[in-house]
Amino acid sequence: MRKGNAMSVMNPSRKRPCSRWVVILACAAMLITGSLFTVSPASASNLLKMGLLQEPKTLNVWRASDRWSRKVLGLMYQPLYVRDPETLKLIPWLAAGPPLFDEKTLSYTVKIRPAKWSDGTELTSEDVAFTGRFINKFKVPRYRSKWRFIKKIETPDKQTVIFFLKEPKAIFVSRSLTTPIVQKKEWTALIEAARKTKKPLKKLLNEKIKRPVSSGPFVLKEWRQGAYLYLQKNEHFFGTGKKIQGRLLGPYIDGIIFKIFGTSDASILALKKGSIDMFWWGIQPGYIEDLRANPDIALFQNEKSALYYMGFNVRKAPFNDANLRRAIATLVDEDFIINRILQGYGIRMYSIVPPGNAFWYCPDVPRYGEGLDREGRIKKAFGILSDAGYSWDAPPVDGSGKVVKGEGIKLPDGSPMEKFTILTPPADYDPHRAMCGMMMQEWLRMVGMPAYSKPMAFGALLQQVKLRHEFDAFILGYGNLSLDPDYLRNFFISTNDKRRGWNMSGYNNPHFDKIANRSASEMDREKRRKLIWEMQKIIIGDVPYIPLYDPKLIEAVRKGRFTGWVQMLGGVGNIWTFCQLKPR
Amino acid sequence: MSKQNENSMGPERHPWVSSFLEGWSIFRQNLLGKIGLTLLVMFALMALCSYIPPWISPIYDPMTGVDPDITSCSGPCLRHWLGTDFMGRDILSQLLAGARIAFMVGISAAVMSIVLGVSIGMTAGYMGRFIDTLLMRLADMIMVMPTLLVVLLLSAVFGQLNIWTIVLIIALFRWPGVSRIIRGQTLSLKQRPFIEAAKVAGASHFRIIFIHIMPNVLPLAFLFMTFRVTSAIITEAALAFLGFGDPGTVSWGMMLQWVWKTGHMFQAPYWLLPPGICISLITLSFYMLGRAMDEVLDPRLRKEDQTD
Repeated sequence: MRKGNAMSVMNPSRKRPCSRWVVILACAAMLITGSLFTVSPASASNLLKMGLLQEPKTLNVWRASDRWSRKVLGLMYQPLYVRDPETLKLIPWLAAGPPLFDEKTLSYTVKIRPAKWSDGTELTSEDVAFTGRFINKFKVPRYRSKWRFIKKIETPDKQTVIFFLKEPKAIFVSRSLTTPIVQKKEWTALIEAARKTKKPLKKLLNEKIKRPVSSGPFVLKEWRQGAYLYLQKNEHFFGTGKKIQGRLLGPYIDGIIFKIFGTSDASILALKKGSIDMFWWGIQPGYIEDLRANPDIALFQNEKSALYYMGFNVRKAPFNDANLRRAIATLVDEDFIINRILQGYGIRMYSIVPPGNAFWYCPDVPRYGEGLDREGRIKKAFGILSDAGYSWDAPPVDGSGKVVKGEGIKLPDGSPMEKFTILTPPADYDPHRAMCGMMMQEWLRMVGMPAYSKPMAFGALLQQVKLRHEFDAFILGYGNLSLDPDYLRNFFISTNDKRRGWNMSGYNNPHFDKIANRSASEMDREKRRKLIWEMQKIIIGDVPYIPLYDPKLIEAVRKGRFTGWVQMLGGVGNIWTFCQLKPR
Repeated sequence: MSKQNENSMGPERHPWVSSFLEGWSIFRQNLLGKIGLTLLVMFALMALCSYIPPWISPIYDPMTGVDPDITSCSGPCLRHWLGTDFMGRDILSQLLAGARIAFMVGISAAVMSIVLGVSIGMTAGYMGRFIDTLLMRLADMIMVMPTLLVVLLLSAVFGQLNIWTIVLIIALFRWPGVSRIIRGQTLSLKQRPFIEAAKVAGASHFRIIFIHIMPNVLPLAFLFMTFRVTSAIITEAALAFLGFGDPGTVSWGMMLQWVWKTGHMFQAPYWLLPPGICISLITLSFYMLGRAMDEVLDPRLRKEDQTD
């Protein structure tokens, strides 16, 4: 012991191991933190920094169903046609010109622009044909309905692709030709591996794509899960330096950093501090005043092609009765929802098609409860239900015509109405829909209906509604409805009433089915419009869905660093913005 | 000595009344206890008053009542003393309704957990051996589980839980601590002569546990109840704030969630602060009450002049 002490005093080298460790640890810490700073491209001035609420779930374009993945993938995988930001007409993107329809052969011919993939190889008609064949061969869930009517695809040369249809389809151009195109080379090897498995589609959907081969303005540089995702400018982007629809395309920025924040509060704080240039998500009305007062922040307000609605399970009682659904449609106060819950940042929906989609929107549909106050609504709903044979222990309208609290509603067969739930997404996912559910619960209870609002995790809600069909009513939304109204057919045609089918309500009306099928095949736009109008009238008459609102999208960006934000339906986070945004 | 004289001179009191009066005289001298009780009375009044606003006008209904002239978040005014939320609902009405929910959740969950904890603790302590081991290992297992996390998981699996389910879950996770203390007390009581006497007299186990042991452990159980109320209120508020509360009730946690999710966290202090302050004060009041009760029930904690 003594010797040891003496050694340590006399020989200073005994202390070195300790100090050496300190130095090593310090260096390691510096390296780790330093590497974060050096690897992180966030410091570069020519990079656009975007805030996302959640991390993309996947970079596999066939699997991506969450909006975060699709936002990112939309900058890499490009379609043949996109919407013009002003006219919203379909314009050639990867395609060189409009598709040519041959009525005799029921075929569309599309010429492809000279374009390259991010790995430098040529993007040819083979890639386009491969995409269509792949979807049909493996019945890729999200895209199958848009491609199933294609009989064959031919590629006479590198730049030409011909699609032969089994039957005329009105949705071909607007739905099929807006599908993102993938590289044949990238997926061929994966298909070979998948074919050896029992379930090739499952294998392909579960494939982890680490480096998507891009045809878009950006390509993946780095993804640090849980921290950020970095897209770099694609040097081979076909649009660079070209004018499309009078717009000279870049991209003029070196890349985009997506930072994940988890909550709107954190994202907005980051935006205010300048840590991000844009928060790629709708801003809640509560933040708007504060952001408006900030001179460094610009707010954009745009419409969405969206539908937020209340749906019923019409497969079973009590909602298999259209009278009950009509009574509920009367009780639901859409104006209250828009003015109070959405704080005026929404448009009232009367039909399933948003009113902004003027050509297809049918204004001549039943408008339940319009212009009535709460008492008026209760009286009208009471009338509808009484006429249909419903009774109460204590009716919501007493003998003198005064509105009182209704209790113990009974179905026309005399049995008491059982407790039912209105499923909504949770408040942290969408406070508006959660709040709508709560208010509806109270409105329905006023007439004695045993309604219970039940917010639940979004994934679980979809499982319950779409997969298991175990629900009474729900509030959901389509945040990005196509401009072609073929979704009307998809949502309500009886053949889609199946597990994972789009007909979530289980609506079954042979007359509607007939018109819906005709509308899909009708190539004459005017004739098709009549059919679409007819479909809207049927649906709003039977109310399997009560359309509630189409929210306005408020987005916030920082003014200082970039210019060239392009506003269009669906907000400023669009392909045109990313191709035209320039550093100041 | 003086007490004996009092008892012999005055009308004869039930022993429980006498012990209550004795406890009350000690409690009155405790400043923390007095503050706690005052706060608690204030919250109880708030809970009682929660029925008044909807009775004055439907616009004061905490859930559905909206001011027809106000469609957004607005500060305090004559018609709305604490202002309105983003939909034009009266914040004061919500605050009063929240007091009712806090009492309901706190007291129900605490009573349930105490009943469970006392029963299990007494049974384990009295029966000993295998039953004791089994019950205490069960208590250990539940005690180490993080209540909030488990309730969050249950909410995620089963969808939104209603307020009574939340109360039940809180109670089911809060009994082990009580049962451990009660078991210790029972083990000590079990050795006392009066238990031996009861056994000799042929009393059943059930009778011994619930007639002879229980009255002796009840004061301790009541003391723990005050602490359990606090934790139940905080758990419910946390759940509601995180979006897993009962959407059909207006609780303080729910109010905080609304202010957060609608983006008014930093814009409307008149909406954010009242529920936050109320949660803090009500939990503080139960804690203060518990500390004072501790002093009343445990002679070792009393000051010299309080003991006689």
